Amino acid sequence: MNRRSRLSRWVLAAYCVYLILPLYWLLTLALRSNADIAGVFQLVPSNPTLANFAEILSNPVWYEGFVNSLSYVLLNTLISVFAALPAAYVFSRYRFLGDRQLFFWLLTNRMAPPAVFLLPFFQLYSSIGLFDTPLAVALAHCLFTVPLSVWILEGFMSGVPTEIDDMARIDGHSFWFFFTRIFLPINRGAIGVTVFFCFMFSWVELLLARTLTGSEAKPIVVVMTRTVSASGMDWGVLAAAGIFTVLPGILVVWFVRQHLVKGFALGRV
Amino acid sequence: MRGVKDLVDHTILCVGADQSTVIVALKYGSILPCCPTSPCANHAAMSALNVKDVRLFQEATQGFDHGFAAGELTVVLGGNQSGKTNLCRLLAGLPTQASGEVWYQEQDWTPLSPQKRSVAVVFQAFVNYPNWTVAQNIASPLVAQQLDAPERERIVASLAQTLGISELLQRLPSELSGGQQQRLAIARALAQRADVLVLDEPLVNLDYKLREALVLELKTLLAETGATVIYTSTDPRDAFALGDQVLLLHEQSALQSGTPLGLYLSPKCLAAAHLMSDPGVNLLPRANFNGSEQCSAIRPEHVLLPGETVQDCTDTISFHMRVDSVERSGDETFVHGRVSKDGELQDEKHWVVRRPGMHGVSVGQMLELNVRGDDILNLALD
Repeated sequence: MNRRSRLSRWVLAAYCVYLILPLYWLLTLALRSNADIAGVFQLVPSNPTLANFAEILSNPVWYEGFVNSLSYVLLNTLISVFAALPAAYVFSRYRFLGDRQLFFWLLTNRMAPPAVFLLPFFQLYSSIGLFDTPLAVALAHCLFTVPLSVWILEGFMSGVPTEIDDMARIDGHSFWFFFTRIFLPINRGAIGVTVFFCFMFSWVELLLARTLTGSEAKPIVVVMTRTVSASGMDWGVLAAAGIFTVLPGILVVWFVRQHLVKGFALGRV
Repeated sequence: MRGVKDLVDHTILCVGADQSTVIVALKYGSILPCCPTSPCANHAAMSALNVKDVRLFQEATQGFDHGFAAGELTVVLGGNQSGKTNLCRLLAGLPTQASGEVWYQEQDWTPLSPQKRSVAVVFQAFVNYPNWTVAQNIASPLVAQQLDAPERERIVASLAQTLGISELLQRLPSELSGGQQQRLAIARALAQRADVLVLDEPLVNLDYKLREALVLELKTLLAETGATVIYTSTDPRDAFALGDQVLLLHEQSALQSGTPLGLYLSPKCLAAAHLMSDPGVNLLPRANFNGSEQCSAIRPEHVLLPGETVQDCTDTISFHMRVDSVERSGDETFVHGRVSKDGELQDEKHWVVRRPGMHGVSVGQMLELNVRGDDILNLALD
C-alpha cells in the first residue's frame, strides 16, 4: 500500500469518526444515570444502565409522544403516496391544457416555508374541530409532501416507456389490472424513495406539529423540548428518547437504501 | 420461356446471393402466372382487414383505403417518417395521429378499445414487462383471457419451445439478450392467438445475423398462425423474404400494393421503384428528356461491370462512370460513382452498382458500364 492511499484511508476514517461521534455520545448518555453524567468524563460508560429506556417505555407521556408522532407520520405518508400515485401517472402520461403550469405550481408549494401556513391552518382546524388530532398534522404536512411525492414519482414514471401501457392494453388487461399488477411493481423503487422522503419530512418537522397540537396529540419532538422537570434536566432519559427518535429514520433508510441510490442517480431527489 | 427466365434472373438478382432467401424468392415464380403485375381481383374480395379513409398524419389532406388479405402476410414498406408506426397504432386502436376507419370482416373496429380488438402487436423496441419473468410475460394475454393455469402453462411451454426460449422461462427480461427479448415479445404476441398480428419493424434493433435467422423462422411461424399479418419494414429484402403482399407507403400515403414480385417488376413510379430496391434505383443521365412526367432508371444489380458478358441481348447501352468508392461485403461488391452520358458534366448522376462476387475496382478509375435495354425502367416521376 503506498503512502497516498494510506493517507486517504486515514482521512476517510477521521470523517467517519466525525459523523458517528454525536450519535455515539447520544448512546453513551442514554446508557448512564443522571448522577453519572453530571460526574466524571467517561468515554465508555463504566456502569451502563437501561433504566432510561425503561422510563421511556413505561411513562405514558413519553411513549404516547412516540405513538402520536408515528400515527401522524404514517397517516401523512399514506395520504401522500396514494394521492400522488395517480397524479404522477397523469402528469407522466397525458398532455392536457395547463399541465406544465399545474406541475410547476405544485412545486412552488414546496418552496414556501411551513411557518407561512401556521396561522391559516391553526384558525381553520380550530373552527372545524380538527385541532389537536394526528389527522390535523398529517393534512398540514401533506401540503408539502404531496407535491414532493408527485415530483419524485413523475420523474420515475416518465422513465417507464409508454409502450408498456400500450402492450398491456393490447394483451387485453384492464387499466386497473395494469396499474396495480404491472405499473406499480415496476415503480416500487420510486414508491420506496417517496415513502422515505414523506416519512422523514413529517418525522422531523417541528413547527406545524407543535402549533397544531395541544395536549392530546403531542408529538415526541415537542415532548423532548419540555423535559425540564421539577428535579432538573433529565439528561439520560432525553438521550434515550433521542435514540428512539433516530431509529425509525435508520430503519426506513435501511429498507429503501438501494432505491435511494437509484433515485439520487436519476437526479429527481 | 423468356418470361420465366427473366423472372428467375430478376429474382435472384434482387434478393442477393444469400442462398436461403433465393429459395423463398423463387417460390413466387408459382404465383406469377396468377398475378403478373397487379394484385388479383379476388385478393381484394378476400381481404379481412379493411382500412378506409386513412390519414396517417394530422396534416394529411387525402385519405386512402386498403384491404389486407385474409390469412396472408402484408409487408408495409416505407421510409422513415412515412407513417408505418402510425398505421400500426391505428390498427391496434392505440392513441395516434393517424385517423380512419378500421373494419375486420363485417365488424367495425373503429370505436373499439385495444382490449376489445383481436389484435396482437410486436413493437420495434423490445417491450416486455420488466418485473415479470419470461413465463409470466408469455402468459400475460392468457391471464387476460382468463384461461386456467394448466392450459396457460401448456401454451407457454409450447410457444417457448417454438421460439427457442424454453431454458429462459424463469428469467427476467433484463437478463436476456436483445434477440431473446424480441423472441419473448413475439411469443407473447402469438400467445394471444389474435386474428390480426401487427409487427412494427420487429427486427430493426437486432444485429444482421440475428435478423437473417429470425426472418426465416418468422416466415413459417406466422404462416402457421393463420392470422392476417401486417409487418412493417424499410428493407425490401423483408418484403421478398416474408411478404405475400406488399403495401408501399410514401409521403404519408399509400403508393402502390401488390405481390412483392409484381411490385418489383412494374413499379408505378420512381418512388415505388426506390422503395423496392436497396440501394435505390439509378437515374439515367438526361433521363427526363422526353417530357417532364417520365424518367428512366436502372436497378443497381442490373448494371454490368466491364468484362461481364451480355448474353442474347441485342440492345446494350454503355455509360462511363468515375468511381468514388467501393464497398465489398464478402459476397457482393457495391461501386459508387458518378455517371454521365457522352461525358457531359452538367448532367452527372450518382450511381450505385451492385454485383455478386468480388470485383477489382479502384477509386478514381473510369469504368465502362453496360446496361441491357430491357432492364431500363420507364417510370412516372411521381
